Amino acid sequence: MRVALAEDGALFREGLLMLLQAAGHEVVGSTADGDSLVELLATQPADAAILDIRMPPEPDGGLITAERLRAAHPNMGLLFLSHYAESHYLMRILQIGTDSIGYRLKEKVGSVDVLSDTLSRIGDGEIVIEPVLAKRLVERPRGDKKGVIATLSERETDVLRLMAEGRSNNGIAAQLFVTPKAVEKHIANIFGKLNLHADTAEHHRRVLAVLTYLRSQRDGD
Amino acid sequence: MMLEPAQRAGDAPRTAPEQGSPDVPTRFPVLLDGTPTEACRRAERAEWLRRRRLERQLHDGASLRISALTLQIGLIRHRLPVSDLDASVDALQDELHAVLQELRDVAGQIYPPLLDQAGLGPALNEVAESINAPVRVRAADERFGPAAEGAAYYAVGGCLVALDPEAPVVELAVRRDTEVRIGPVLVVELAGLDVRHAEPMLEQVWRLGGTIDRTRETGIGTITVRIPCE
Repeated sequence: MRVALAEDGALFREGLLMLLQAAGHEVVGSTADGDSLVELLATQPADAAILDIRMPPEPDGGLITAERLRAAHPNMGLLFLSHYAESHYLMRILQIGTDSIGYRLKEKVGSVDVLSDTLSRIGDGEIVIEPVLAKRLVERPRGDKKGVIATLSERETDVLRLMAEGRSNNGIAAQLFVTPKAVEKHIANIFGKLNLHADTAEHHRRVLAVLTYLRSQRDGD
Repeated sequence: MMLEPAQRAGDAPRTAPEQGSPDVPTRFPVLLDGTPTEACRRAERAEWLRRRRLERQLHDGASLRISALTLQIGLIRHRLPVSDLDASVDALQDELHAVLQELRDVAGQIYPPLLDQAGLGPALNEVAESINAPVRVRAADERFGPAAEGAAYYAVGGCLVALDPEAPVVELAVRRDTEVRIGPVLVVELAGLDVRHAEPMLEQVWRLGGTIDRTRETGIGTITVRIPCE
């Protein structure tokens, strides 16, 4: 993939650049701030941009930069890297876009395999969410959702956690060593228990429905 | 700490029997002996700035270095032929993740990064998500300065964590007010909770000239936190 990146920490930026190259990706440019990246990508084509959330323009330059990039290059994938996995930022990211978008912890992309898997899922149009955050959302839903989540079987909870990571049916099936058909059945059960519409066939809409459910306050707001 | 209805000048309105009017809302301020001097308030504001600076130092320094280290380890692993070392490298990276989680916990106790970056509403919302009791947060994207936001976060956050999980939903609202002689004031209102939670909150806010009051002396009511702000 052709990748561009913006990160204000020089040490991390250099390390990421080398790991991307080792993974066989072409790094078309790397900058220390969001504005320079937007400028660079105005002339340089890329398949994905990797952005630090907390970088210039302060305070959360990665988000502002991503909004500009998504408007200028709608097909370009966006991967946010941050020192913190916060549901607040996840919801802000999903407001920018719900396809070809990812949010991961900086220290969790430190291998060629993970980095390439993350980028290729984004390239395929998926939402990629840090497993640490997806797990926290599923294990600690807002108070009034706890009762419903507690009614899920152990396997259904596993499926819900992988759905919250943004994984497709095939991806979930591969992780759990079951057939995609079995995953479909679990998802239908989960949606029934959560009282969500099971007709959200489109992958990213389904992920969004799950995440919104887990994080929403009472009265559906 | 002394707790009693308002007797201090400027703390009107007082209790209903003293006012003799049913139209004026009843307020029971939580009071400490004495009020902070201007020097005390200044020192407290400086202390919050110092805490925020420390958190940023932790983020931009040690944490980022460790994150970069995980990338370097990943690169070394990629360059070496497949070997028995793979499991050790995985374990090493997991351990670095654990170290970073501990640093995040420390940072959160010094000055919550989300509070610094996104403000009081998102930071309190994150606390509301982490507890069992139902809390509904209403807050605009407004900023009040690091001192008032820090004090309000720890005062209100501590109260939310102490809520009874079985209690009815608590409505939390954050807004800005202007008071004569004081200027801009950050106001946090917590409605529908046991007003005994007001007591421990005062410790966090009074050195900034902040006040706490309740709509009643016992039982379920509304607690209002007011802190002079930027």
